[in-house]
Amino acid sequence: MPLFGAIGVAGTGVTVYRKWLDAISDNISNINTARPTSAAAFQARYVVAQAVTSPDGTGGVQVGGIAFGSAAGRLVYDPQHPLADAQGYVRMPDIDLGNEMTQMIMAQRGYQANLAVVDRAKDAYQAAIQLGRN
Amino acid sequence: MTAPIGAVAALASQAVTPTAAVAPPGGLNAAAPAAPTGGAGFANALGGALDNLQAVQSKADTLAVQAATGTLKDVHDYTIAATEASLATQLTVAVRNKAVEAFTEIMRMPA
Repeated sequence: MPLFGAIGVAGTGVTVYRKWLDAISDNISNINTARPTSAAAFQARYVVAQAVTSPDGTGGVQVGGIAFGSAAGRLVYDPQHPLADAQGYVRMPDIDLGNEMTQMIMAQRGYQANLAVVDRAKDAYQAAIQLGRN
Repeated sequence: MTAPIGAVAALASQAVTPTAAVAPPGGLNAAAPAAPTGGAGFANALGGALDNLQAVQSKADTLAVQAATGTLKDVHDYTIAATEASLATQLTVAVRNKAVEAFTEIMRMPA
């Protein structure tokens, strides 16, 4: 464990939650991205977190990979749409806004929790440094 | 209560060893033989701590430049590095102050 290990570990957590927030914002911004039925729909991005284990005891978390949602999406009848096919359908991404908002709350709270750990760890280390001063 | 006192005594005995290590750079070569084992240890530890401080601060500096030029990828990368640099500096200064304090305490002793 390096010096100030708790701060470094919490930092990896903040990074993962930041990437999760990025993925959610990507999903929400593309929630109305229509594609022609001949093409694949916009696929939702899901961050896969992975625990980090190393021999020196340094823990943490990292993004193990990105999982993608359904490429089939859902077919929506919208004959006025410029991308609509002969039957009047377009392919919309299969993203639920309510689900994305719920995940955003989780990601935001996780981000804040990790930053709170950084803050408390800093206070704790500072108390240790102050020990015996005067 | 004996255990805590013993712990303090152990710390105190360690504090004397650093003093002897600080003494040789101060020009008191006569004091060097008094610390046959601890001298190089404390010097190495202090040197390692300074190297570590240097590395942490240069990392924070690099990220500060990235923040200024707009190439910083994560805001918290910089703030966490700056926090670590601040803590490392405080720790190094605390160790330095303790060593100097112990040295002056020894020097105040009547000959």
